[in-house]
Amino acid sequence: MSGAVLLGHGLLVASALFAIGLVGVLVRRNLLFQLLSIEIMLNAAAMAFVIAGARWGVADGQVMFVFILVMAAAEVAVGLALLLRISRRVPDLDGDAVSGMGG
Amino acid sequence: MTGLLAPLADVALVLGLVLTMAAFLIWYERRLLALWQDRYGPNRVGPFGLLQVVADVIKIFFKEDWVPPFADRTVFVLAPMVIMVAVLMSFAVVPISPEIVVADSSVGVLFILAMSSMTVYASVLGGWASNNKYALLGGLRAAAQMVSYEVFMGISLMGVVVLAGSFRLGDIVEAQSGLWNCVPQFLGMLVFAVAGVAETKRVPFDLPEAEAELVAGYHTEYSGMKFGMFFVGEYLGVTLISALIVLLYFGGWRGPWLPPVVWFLLKTLAVIAVFFLLRASLPRPRFDQLMAYGWKVLLPLALLNLLVTGLVVLS
Amino acid sequence: MTVLFYLAGAVALLAAGLAVSRRNAFHALLYVVVSLLAAAVVFLTLGAPFAAVLEIIVYAGAIIVLFVFVVMMLNLGPEAAPRQHGLLSPATWIGPGVLAAVLLAELVVVITTAGGDAVAGDAVGPREVSHALFGPYVLAVELASFLLLAGLVGAAYLGSGSRTTGGEG
Repeated sequence: MSGAVLLGHGLLVASALFAIGLVGVLVRRNLLFQLLSIEIMLNAAAMAFVIAGARWGVADGQVMFVFILVMAAAEVAVGLALLLRISRRVPDLDGDAVSGMGG
Repeated sequence: MTGLLAPLADVALVLGLVLTMAAFLIWYERRLLALWQDRYGPNRVGPFGLLQVVADVIKIFFKEDWVPPFADRTVFVLAPMVIMVAVLMSFAVVPISPEIVVADSSVGVLFILAMSSMTVYASVLGGWASNNKYALLGGLRAAAQMVSYEVFMGISLMGVVVLAGSFRLGDIVEAQSGLWNCVPQFLGMLVFAVAGVAETKRVPFDLPEAEAELVAGYHTEYSGMKFGMFFVGEYLGVTLISALIVLLYFGGWRGPWLPPVVWFLLKTLAVIAVFFLLRASLPRPRFDQLMAYGWKVLLPLALLNLLVTGLVVLS
Repeated sequence: MTVLFYLAGAVALLAAGLAVSRRNAFHALLYVVVSLLAAAVVFLTLGAPFAAVLEIIVYAGAIIVLFVFVVMMLNLGPEAAPRQHGLLSPATWIGPGVLAAVLLAELVVVITTAGGDAVAGDAVGPREVSHALFGPYVLAVELASFLLLAGLVGAAYLGSGSRTTGGEG
């Protein structure tokens, strides 16, 4: 048991989190769960940035974290507003049911 | 062992002080309201009715702790714990005097904002898990109101942070050694106090539990000790917001003659009295008025305060 | 601190895994909150207190509350559990699971060959981050504010239909 966290272990946690989010997006057909899984993936990417920043002891990792946070907030605002619109046509929020265009 | 025992002693001291305070506030509020409404208030149990609190606690402990069969049991039980844990966690970074503080974190102010954003979940979870339409409406209102007012709370705080140059609450108090922040940050203080009332869901802004429209809002189905936790959580929230106002705008523990702890408690009790006076004197707005007031009045005011503070500091 | 890191990482992974496999949307959201709080602890152990607190304030305290708000508005309760055709059958999990496993395996190989360094435990506080944000990254901050404005306008437009909401948050 060494005193410090290894960089590889931190990145492993982040990539495992990313993989879980990916499985969520691929498996779930409910739009709400897909959005949620995308949030998990974004969070994993942000975590990788923070870990890398901590490895070199610089602030840049946390700066990128802040930008990802901003992007996630904007994405969720628009995504959930779209979700509310879609829920009027497709009450059970099935992603496959809104695959057609036109109309 | 002293290295381990000293923080534990601080934790015990702060927890004891804060929980005693919350219990005391139940009596304090009822007596003050009675005073302003030309009544006596609770004055039968013990000296000045002080033991009324003990009687209430005994009563609430022996009530039936009922979970509705239609509720989502796990979430229903979890909700009141969230508010207690979140509020008590925030007190970890509150310095009661220069010596008494559990963890004077470098991101203290942000930590309190984070914990107060966690208290949203208590109302929302309670409202959803009750599976009751009034509770659901109360939960929805709580979510919208608290997320919105947290924005104004955060922005109005930033003026103080700019002046002190630190998120550490101890540093912020030290920065007020000359002039208390309530003078240069008057606008920020007003916005913070209003947002604080909305965060704790106290009376002018208690729309999530408006008894005239929603029975009791998000805690309609709660009884016994679980209701008690919501109730105490609300008083703890009031104590926290008042302690923050004292620390950020009224010089914290600073004051002549008396020891720092006494000054801190006196100032906090005075601010809490203002909270109760608001309850005694103001009517409840409609929900759309509440949201419009926040986004159209408080947000511009908070931004203006931050802008002017930044200009003054930089020039 | 090291033990805390591994514990929090495990909790984050477990909670995320439970979140994507729940049928009940509200329970899934709660698991995501737990995952985010654990991620905040990970940041704290790595000496990034500012990121940790922002994670709680913005992610757990605002973004997920927005999700909760929508779930409550659509009233996706247990009895109205959305139709998930074949969610519980393992067949649907095989394809995505294999793909994700391959991706993860690649990442693991790359990381284990290069990531043997120890993370420096020095805390990078809010002061350094804000100096970087409003120093070399000031243009990116402006762009981020454009993005937020665009998101605000988009959400306000999409939400201004016949459905009335309590506020766009």
